[in-house]
Amino acid sequence: MRNWVLEGLLLLVLWNGLTISALAVDQAQLQSINQSWSQSAHAFADVNCSSCHQNSSTKQVTQRPNHESCRSCHESQVDTFLLGKHGIRLLEGQTALTPALAHLPMQAAAHNKQMNCNTCHDVHSVKTLPASVDSCLTCHKDTHSLNYKNSRHAELLREEGALPRPSTVSTTCATCHLPRQTSASGTVMVNHNNTFTLLPRDRMVKEVCMNCHGMEFAYNSIFDDDLVESNFARPPTLSMDTLKMVRALEKQRSGNSQSE
Amino acid sequence: MAKTQRSFLSLSALFNVRNTVIVLCLLVMGWLGAAFALDHKTIFLPGVTSNGHLLFEASCASCHEGFKPVSNDTCMRCHEAEMATDAHGPKKFRDLRWAAELEKLEVLTCTTCHNEHVHMFDRGVHLKPDLCMICHEGIIQGELASHKGFSPDGCWTAGCHNFHDHRSISTGFLRQSMGQADMLPKPALPARTFKPELTAPPQPDLGKELLGGQA
Repeated sequence: MRNWVLEGLLLLVLWNGLTISALAVDQAQLQSINQSWSQSAHAFADVNCSSCHQNSSTKQVTQRPNHESCRSCHESQVDTFLLGKHGIRLLEGQTALTPALAHLPMQAAAHNKQMNCNTCHDVHSVKTLPASVDSCLTCHKDTHSLNYKNSRHAELLREEGALPRPSTVSTTCATCHLPRQTSASGTVMVNHNNTFTLLPRDRMVKEVCMNCHGMEFAYNSIFDDDLVESNFARPPTLSMDTLKMVRALEKQRSGNSQSE
Repeated sequence: MAKTQRSFLSLSALFNVRNTVIVLCLLVMGWLGAAFALDHKTIFLPGVTSNGHLLFEASCASCHEGFKPVSNDTCMRCHEAEMATDAHGPKKFRDLRWAAELEKLEVLTCTTCHNEHVHMFDRGVHLKPDLCMICHEGIIQGELASHKGFSPDGCWTAGCHNFHDHRSISTGFLRQSMGQADMLPKPALPARTFKPELTAPPQPDLGKELLGGQA
């Protein structure tokens, strides 16, 4: 019995030791982090180590700040993240989402990744371009996701070359699934609710596709399941009945107005 | 003697059945109690959870306050943004032309159409897909020539109508956007800009505190 207790205590100590060493960084890692941070938007916005790694009132240092820390500056981004599938478990007081819990096909190597801001964002370099494609593809391996790299959208992004953040013409995974929105006050923010534009599909058309594409092109693309799966590998071939009806209505109305 | 033996046997049989029932009841209660205490709440789920809520189905308190019915406020805690421009919202039914329609289907209560843990058709709707016919049957019966003879269950399942948000699917919007080029002349994606506050990066203000030991 005593042996059991002793073994348990030993295991607990070992486990603590392991988790601490997994969280802590060594001198070389710290140097590389500082290097990356010193060129980042955070550094130039005077966001220093302590801004995220130290509690302002208790002065307690934390190795792994979480979404609460990011929220002190990026409120609407974090709030929308918490409403989508990526963040809802955190909002509801559950353990973070991991790809293992997902119902879509996910990369086996990523199964244990815990979903938080820094799962997708390199918080020290603060480059949002990797977060808009590469981070997604670290976990997602459904056909639509895997086909992105061969799509015209990806080709456009490649033609743009190196960017600090996606431009106004870059079409990344995030352009459609975590779209930029302009608030009433004119601030541009990224809606991190990844399920917001997904369904119904007309919401994707209005919020996303029609930023660049005409309405008919957008509807004839988004309602073609094969085309969606191929990640829009070709122009749409669908000719939706709804649009035919609107065209007929238009013809009838202009006919009426001519006869009047 | 043989008779006494038999009655004794049947008595003990009865005794055993009663015991078995008691033991089974205790086992079930113990099992449920343990599940509750150990936070394995998924065993209390009365049915399959819809796709949208599946990831946090073990968090009963997210939607349920004891045994009270789920209220609109509960749903709006997360779904406010989707409902911002609700085409079938309170504003519509304050209008006297439509107010009486609520007696046919109380659509101002979320759970009228969106129940949970029951079979869903699509979009988290548990009512049969022809639910629009409760009020709009006339549309397919000749009131609107272009829709005469349409299938009663196709309004939203075919992707043409969206109960809550018809901004991008209304006839007005579609007519106005007909004939647009495949690529619009100018992409309308907003730019994200960054104005640096400093001309040079500051010195990092933490160092040794982040090395080793402190979690």
